[in-house]
Amino acid sequence: MTLSLFNQFLSPSLMWTPLAAIALALPWALFPRQTARWVNNRLLSLQSWFLGQFTQQIFLPINNPGHKWALLLASLMLFLITLNTTGLLPYTFTPTTQLSMNMGFAIPLWLATVILGLWTQPTQALGHLLPEGTPTPLIPVLIIIETISLFIRPIALGVRLTANLTAGHLLIQLISSATSVLLSILPAVATFTITLLFLLTLLEVAVAMIQAYVFVLLLSLYLQENV
Amino acid sequence: MPQLIPSPWLAYLLFSWVVFSVVVLPKVSTHVFPEAPAPQTKQAPQTEPWNWLWH
Repeated sequence: MTLSLFNQFLSPSLMWTPLAAIALALPWALFPRQTARWVNNRLLSLQSWFLGQFTQQIFLPINNPGHKWALLLASLMLFLITLNTTGLLPYTFTPTTQLSMNMGFAIPLWLATVILGLWTQPTQALGHLLPEGTPTPLIPVLIIIETISLFIRPIALGVRLTANLTAGHLLIQLISSATSVLLSILPAVATFTITLLFLLTLLEVAVAMIQAYVFVLLLSLYLQENV
Repeated sequence: MPQLIPSPWLAYLLFSWVVFSVVVLPKVSTHVFPEAPAPQTKQAPQTEPWNWLWH
């Protein structure tokens, strides 16, 4: 069996149990449920603070009817950021590298915003297809372009998250395998690649958090247009 | 590319939505945010004096 670099993204299984299910179900043990106490412990306080700040930040530009989406977007953010960052640990499986999961979140949520817009305010929703102040001869072309860009949105949303995380994990695997090979041959170059690996890992931590934020931010922008 | 293998596609999709809706949404919805402290009013609140009951 030839080992390709993409093998880390195959569905891992140990003795016929799919480990991807454990990777999806286990990280939520890190988030305790709210207690009945007046003052909570540090972990719970930190998480509450993060959720509250994030929800406030995302929903500032959205008008009141859109605030019904607060629970969905805040928990989606928690979901994605936890899966992304726990996937950076060695030997873990990152579910967000799978196109199926990301498209499974992107397409229904984008479609929900579009249907919401078309149902509650169809004129404004269709009016988004033509920017204000376009010259008259350009109108048909621009409507076509805007429609295409509307339909590209869910694909871009899902593929952006998948591609960013997959590329990051691949780079980490490439550079670490280069380091382990070079350690016996050219140790000096190996120190350079170790430094590169360290910096890349820092970048990947940042990318993991930023990509989760961007996913939810874009969904909130699509919501803002349509609610 | 492993992401395009069709066999675990639907399983991932459904299981991730199941985990999201059964675990994450309830966990986030139980978070309670304490109210910001209200500014102090100028009037002191009216209280009735009471006698401590000494047993």
